[in-house]
Amino acid sequence: MVIEMELIEKLAILADGAKYDASCSSSGSRRISKNTFGNTSFSGICHSFSSDGRCISLLKILMTNCCMFDCKYCLNRKSNDIKRAIFTPEEVCKITINFYKRNYIEGLFLSSGIIKSPDYTMELMIETIELLRKKYHFGGYIHAKAIPKCSEYLLKKLGFLVDRLSANIELPTDEGLKLLAPNKNSSNVNKIMNYINNNKSKKFVPAGQSTQMIIGATKETDLDVMKKSEFMYNKYKLKRVFYSAYVPVNKDKLLPTIKIPPLTRENRLYQADWLLRFYNFKVEDILDKKNPNFNLLLDPKADWALRNLNEFPKEVNTCSYQDLLKIPGVGIVSAKRIIKSRNLFNITFKDLKKMGIVLKRAKYFLTCNGRYFMDINFFKSSFIEKNLILEDKKNITENIEQLTLFNE
Amino acid sequence: MNKSKSIFLYNYSFLSLLNLIKKLIQNKIVPNDIKNYDYQANLFDNTINLKVPEDEKVINDIINHFGVNILNIMFKVFLSNEQYKELIIYYFWLYSIKYKNKVVYMRNLKVVNKALKISKYVGKEAHRLKGFLRFSELENNVLYAEMAPENNIIIFLSMHFKKRLKNEFWIIKDVKRGILSVYNKKDYFFINENEYKLLTKNVSNEEKNIRNLWKTFYKNISINERKNIRCQMNFMPKKYWQYITEMRDDNEENYK
Ligand code: SF4
Repeated sequence: MVIEMELIEKLAILADGAKYDASCSSSGSRRISKNTFGNTSFSGICHSFSSDGRCISLLKILMTNCCMFDCKYCLNRKSNDIKRAIFTPEEVCKITINFYKRNYIEGLFLSSGIIKSPDYTMELMIETIELLRKKYHFGGYIHAKAIPKCSEYLLKKLGFLVDRLSANIELPTDEGLKLLAPNKNSSNVNKIMNYINNNKSKKFVPAGQSTQMIIGATKETDLDVMKKSEFMYNKYKLKRVFYSAYVPVNKDKLLPTIKIPPLTRENRLYQADWLLRFYNFKVEDILDKKNPNFNLLLDPKADWALRNLNEFPKEVNTCSYQDLLKIPGVGIVSAKRIIKSRNLFNITFKDLKKMGIVLKRAKYFLTCNGRYFMDINFFKSSFIEKNLILEDKKNITENIEQLTLFNE
Repeated sequence: MNKSKSIFLYNYSFLSLLNLIKKLIQNKIVPNDIKNYDYQANLFDNTINLKVPEDEKVINDIINHFGVNILNIMFKVFLSNEQYKELIIYYFWLYSIKYKNKVVYMRNLKVVNKALKISKYVGKEAHRLKGFLRFSELENNVLYAEMAPENNIIIFLSMHFKKRLKNEFWIIKDVKRGILSVYNKKDYFFINENEYKLLTKNVSNEEKNIRNLWKTFYKNISINERKNIRCQMNFMPKKYWQYITEMRDDNEENYK
């Protein structure tokens, strides 16, 4: 029996059920739209930041938190005794439009528990988003989660209505899925990713697809995680993989007994993900069977550089762009600046600072006009490691999402 | 010998400043400073008003010689709060003559580096406020927002919301500078607060409910186990909170 519930209570329940999805991005869409109410911003816009420091860009909600499945890690699983709610399509539209008008949000992120059947759930979501686009002429950003095992014609229909459509791989390994989400398997998710990748166009899922993995709910290694990401980036041209540190919401003998989510590990994975996508690193450069997990004390790039000290120093006035990218403390923007500037003048250490290079990190790995920043005697790997770790400690508590705001 | 400082005056606008600088450079005059008409001269100042006509041609001159990117940087510096912004633009212009569009790679030059930094800072604040600005719906259906940014970025917000909320009436007020941007579903225009009176500041019937819905969402979307206030403040500095709905108490709300 469904009891009438205040809209505000529904919103509380259905935001609560949606918040564990890490995806926040509202960028990358160049959808051509005749809709007159709202638009999208290619670079994405953060509208607020919640007290956990995460960006709020979209109205992130579930259509319903009723679910026929029982994934062990999930707040909404069938066996949990929690309040259940379901939005009507009109209610979702009302909230979205009113929030958008006041500039609270960039658009809607709609996901759902699975109610009755995958197709039934998808139809409910499609009805909602169709209403939003056609009746309310909403032109803002919409990200929808596809429900695994739904029919292809529904995927097609939804894909033409939204900016981003995605399916969550949930856990990095098939064994993990079998253990914690026995109703799911990765081939159903792969099918969706494949379909979206094959049909992507200016009108169909123009902002591309993303996915997310929960980290630390099973015994996977960082190597497992990164291999999975590398595979999905290559095969399905994903825009992003989101890593979500496991938050213990349920008690279950199959779940790890941790109290605090593994946030530092999550941070390392995001940094490594960045290295794969923009710095031309391969997974085997930074992890292997002997070292399958990241050093929690050092970021993956610095860790790699220390293990490969023989490749350094790089001379900033002559080395290649690719080599510049390998230097800890040199990012993409600053590497490009170096390339452009050194045609015009000889770069000194003073100039590097102005170009945004983090000298505290970079000074061990580069020379300017053949000279080190300081006495060569300091260049023992143990000394460097100690100093980099000190530097890193200061940053560790800050979230990596800072990096993800403006680039995608 | 104590030479008095020559300070050149311009008529507030970007166009007036550009025309003045062009004239100075053409006549090989090196100013000690450039200020707008509000400048309070002191005893040793020698203020000079060349009354250069405001010719729009100068815009094209800059674009043709240095590129539109350079014009954008100059404009953003102009909108900043920097004390010597006019002088920075003057020297940035001089270097642009020498290095053309490549001047942006000359960060080893102090003034160039400074101009680039300021311009980036202004752009960043404009981008931030595209997210942080909050409209309230007034009883006459007008969407009304107040803000107090460091830099004079109202023009960037106006361009943004002209596209985004093109079928709404909206008004944005920069409380710090007393400027309003008023949009009439066709275009926006800027007007001084003394010359414009809002018909009403009462909010619509729905406004309170929607604000409560938003605050509820805001509270519930946060994961307690991940609490990180420092990170939150880094991204959303406290100086903006006064105008952000979800960061205020209801009884602080200045239009109810
Ligand atoms: S299918 Fe989704 S909503 Fe349902 S229990 Fe599994 S993770 Fe939770």
